[in-house]
Amino acid sequence: MRSFAYARPLTVMAAVQALADASPHARIIAGGTTLYDLMKLNIEAPQALVDVSRLGELTTFDTSGTRELVFGAMARMSDIAADRTLQTDYPALAESLWLAASPQVRNMATVGGNLLQRTRCAYFRGGAPYPCNKRQPGSGCAAIGGLDRSHAILGTSTSCVAVYPGDWAVALAAFDAQLDTVSPRGERTIPIDELHREPGETPHLETILKPDELIVRIRVPVTVAGRASTYHKIRDRASYAFALASAAVALRVDGDTVREARIALGGVATRPWRARDAERALMGGALTEGSARAAGELAFTAARTGQYNRFKVELGARTIAEALMIAKGRAKTS
Amino acid sequence: MTGPGPFPDVARVDARDKVRGMTPYGADNHPPNLAHAMLVTAQIGKGRLVKVDTDAARAVAGVQLVLTHQDTEGLKADGYLFANGRSFQSVQPMIGTAIAYRGQPIALVVADSLEAAIEGAEQVSAEYVTAPFSVTLDSEGTEILAQADLPLPKPAFADKNVGDADAALAAAPVTVDAVYDSAPQHQNPIELIATVASWDGDELTVYESTQHVEGIRQGLAFELGISPDKVRVISPFCGGSFGQKNAMHAQTVLVALAARTLGRPVKLVVPRSQLFHNTSFRPPTRHRVRLGADRAGKIVAAVHEIDQQTSRHDLFPSMATDTSARLHGIPNFRSRERLRRTDVQTPGFMRAPWEHAAAFAFESAIDELAYALDRDPVELRLANELPYDVVTGKPFSSRHLSECLRRGAELFGWARRRMAPRSMRETDGTLVGWGVATGAYPSVISPSIAQLRVTDDGGIVLNVGVQEMGQGARNAVAAAVADVLKVRADQVTTLLGDTKGPPPHLTAGSWGTATAVPAARQAAIDMREALRKLQPEASNGATPAGILRHAKRPFLEVEARHQAPGAPDAVFDRMKQGLLAYVGPEFPEFVSFSFIAHFVEVHVEPATCRVRVPRVVTVADCGRVVSPRTAASQLRGGVVWGIGGALREASEVDPRYGGFLNADLAEYLVPVNADIGDIQVDFVDKPDPMLNNAGVKGLGEVANVGPAAAVANAVYHATGRRVRHLPIRIEDLL
Ligand SMILES: Cc1cc2nc3c(=O)[nH]c(=O)nc-3n(C[C@H](O)[C@H](O)[C@H](O)COP(=O)(O)OP(=O)(O)OC[C@H]3O[C@@H](n4cnc5c(N)ncnc54)[C@H](O)[C@@H]3O)c2cc1C
Repeated sequence: MRSFAYARPLTVMAAVQALADASPHARIIAGGTTLYDLMKLNIEAPQALVDVSRLGELTTFDTSGTRELVFGAMARMSDIAADRTLQTDYPALAESLWLAASPQVRNMATVGGNLLQRTRCAYFRGGAPYPCNKRQPGSGCAAIGGLDRSHAILGTSTSCVAVYPGDWAVALAAFDAQLDTVSPRGERTIPIDELHREPGETPHLETILKPDELIVRIRVPVTVAGRASTYHKIRDRASYAFALASAAVALRVDGDTVREARIALGGVATRPWRARDAERALMGGALTEGSARAAGELAFTAARTGQYNRFKVELGARTIAEALMIAKGRAKTS
Repeated sequence: MTGPGPFPDVARVDARDKVRGMTPYGADNHPPNLAHAMLVTAQIGKGRLVKVDTDAARAVAGVQLVLTHQDTEGLKADGYLFANGRSFQSVQPMIGTAIAYRGQPIALVVADSLEAAIEGAEQVSAEYVTAPFSVTLDSEGTEILAQADLPLPKPAFADKNVGDADAALAAAPVTVDAVYDSAPQHQNPIELIATVASWDGDELTVYESTQHVEGIRQGLAFELGISPDKVRVISPFCGGSFGQKNAMHAQTVLVALAARTLGRPVKLVVPRSQLFHNTSFRPPTRHRVRLGADRAGKIVAAVHEIDQQTSRHDLFPSMATDTSARLHGIPNFRSRERLRRTDVQTPGFMRAPWEHAAAFAFESAIDELAYALDRDPVELRLANELPYDVVTGKPFSSRHLSECLRRGAELFGWARRRMAPRSMRETDGTLVGWGVATGAYPSVISPSIAQLRVTDDGGIVLNVGVQEMGQGARNAVAAAVADVLKVRADQVTTLLGDTKGPPPHLTAGSWGTATAVPAARQAAIDMREALRKLQPEASNGATPAGILRHAKRPFLEVEARHQAPGAPDAVFDRMKQGLLAYVGPEFPEFVSFSFIAHFVEVHVEPATCRVRVPRVVTVADCGRVVSPRTAASQLRGGVVWGIGGALREASEVDPRYGGFLNADLAEYLVPVNADIGDIQVDFVDKPDPMLNNAGVKGLGEVANVGPAAAVANAVYHATGRRVRHLPIRIEDLL
């Protein structure tokens, strides 16, 4: 833990200016539930923080739109999870927040900061003496050949098998959300699917965001598949734990026929993982226990397992299958 | 002996303060001019320090002092708890250059602020020579020792050999032979370990969180080479302990040394990640259990063999079969306990330190036998009760295990259970399992001195050597006095946890109540007699203060002592030296244990195999229940612990690095509220007629003996899968 400079701008413009002034050593801080934690562990040691939690214009959200849902990046996880419209029209989104972390964390954490939470890999968080390519590029990966029970089986590389731990980004991935950002270079829009990178040879680069780039809002296109959706999270305890496997699933069905299937996975991959093959396999067919199971298996055909995480293939497949049946049940009642 | 009648269920005497956050814990002390400290720990698995570079740390603004092994000349290691010392292990870090395990402290940084101390600690670097190490039961380089051959007191640590277990086993028509493993665990009380040390001239005052202020006073004086008279240790409350704080830790003397060097008070709160390496933990164990029975369901033989981890430098013995031999009346019983030496800090006591894993193994095996015999597991246990102890041939001081089983079965609705695995389901396909297991825990007693003072203004002050660590010791001793003097418990002021008072025993091993309550009760009885002498004609409703005022006496004081039946007076001397001084569970005329029965319902989701525990019924025989409110909490807590041990908790060890990997509460999974369903607890509440004048046995530990087995047995009943290791996780059931 070191001393650092600290600025708390009140407008987005002032925030962009503060980032430009302090760049490249500044870090954005919102709720602080990830960043302060990593600073205390001495994994991150920023020289300057730009606290964006008081950007009032970014703390609101609107789920009543006819074209899209809009979430200010500084809106709290707990506030959005409690939104009635979201709970009925997009249960997967509400559940992904509701089932994350603890009430205390959700009251502090923002949905913008949430997207950028970092892996829980104990070798990453543990610091020295563990080698970690994410923490210290080129040092190696202690998780490969180590205690990898919670690690990824999809999107891994020979440099890194760390799981992307978050839930909300997984649910957003299922709905093709978009992010609006601003930086000293201007504004841009990023599809959520492009935000996170696979580790490849550069696991320390986790997203395509630039250090001085501020997420201002998250937009989700309106879809009727939202109603028939669920975020199914399987973990070691009933609350306050990261996913061993999770599936965000949304369906549009016509009678028995699947017209649209959206499946994104958490807890099993190095980034929020869209299971497109599984989606395609379901299209145009009837959703049965059998076809759900087959889709679940298909999602893991490319899985690469380690010493202790082999079970995630079976668990992941079952999680998807069960999530599909839950979503189907909601399609009927809506 | 006739004990007291049933006690009323009253609120904790400290409840109001606790809910208002007013209870003073060790780290809450802020003497003026306080400096803050942080430890630096070794990052190698084993070896030797070549150099500790502290220059960068000293350059951090606010850093006042960096202590390393070069600054500890004259410091002596006090010694290991089980080897006539008072420390949790024999290694005192920062004396010498040897590194025995990863996480061992190598420097202490002291600064004006906590932030500067942390930053300074991050700046300390070290060079090492590394040595090979082994950290798991099965690692190469692990040394296997037969406990019976070790220089440990006999017969306490001898193998048991009653009857001819091997022959009986060979002849038995129905047998079970299985191996069970348990994972290492850490106690993880919410309150961290902390020391606040300040010197006034040559007098040292230490605030801690401990189960044993006297042990720290004596151990610290020895390490510093000063008279114990110059040391005062204060710990009136302990924010959870579970065995972790039963002996002196490494930081205490280092903080005292820093405070002396700087001439100002120093505080250290050890962060949780470091606590995983600087306190004891529950060692991993492996149990082979063999049972033999005749076809009628009479269990004729048991062989219980155990391998348990210990450190390279200390022998943390296994006492597990002391209990497994007493769970059921099995006439032929043989045990063999072995220790496996590895390069870790010395493992030690965690609630039901041996009995948790031993009961998991033994009671799982009993369940396996029940299925092999096709006998109901409750009925099988009831059919194998004996009224005496087969190991010694002596009677039990009291044994109401059958009543625990019968009452528990009744409360649980056990009669509706179907025997076959996978035979009970919810309408949505959820698998339902019902499991049972029993537990036992030795009753032992330490010496105790109680001083009671009543004053004419209504004061009733009890000063007794017992530590309050949340278990409710204050309630129990206050209730014992209140019962005799016919006052309310909250009218009794309890002074505990200060070496200025009568010498306190190490409060551990569930002996606190059976140790302190009889002394407190005796003091109250003596006081009642003294008051009666002052005013023989006093009416029944006369208060102590009223009698004093009538006799024109401002106060009256009595002191009472209590020790275990048959214990030599020398136990008081050991207690005064801060050493282990308990006696039991074998006494001259009898053997004494507490008993318990747990009934558990699990639900296992059909696809994803998540295990839930919607309800538990637990019935305990702990003798007379002196403090019903805290006793019920102890039972519920023990069951929660059992659920944690059965389904979640494991301290993860990467053999390539040593130490513990998941060293924080986000990754070391204890149960959360959402994991806990209905827990119904009940007590036999019959006073033990032999053990002491209050009829009390122990409770806190026995509560965690057996629940993990009951969960595992319920999982088997639900799924048909017999999982023989702890914890049981999703991947075991998929
Ligand atoms: C014990 C614990 C358990 C948890 N369990 C779960 C769980 O089960 N599921 C789950 O999904 N999450 C879980 N979390 C993670 C939690 O959800 C995140 O920590 C939180 O959402 C981060 O939000 P924040 O506002 O606090 O981010 P910060 O900590 O403030 O920031 C996080 C990162 O995002 C960057 N950042 C923040 N805001 C912006 C922005 N607007 N634009 C660009 N960059 C930004 C920061 O620079 C930083 O790198 C858990 C956290 C803890 C501590």
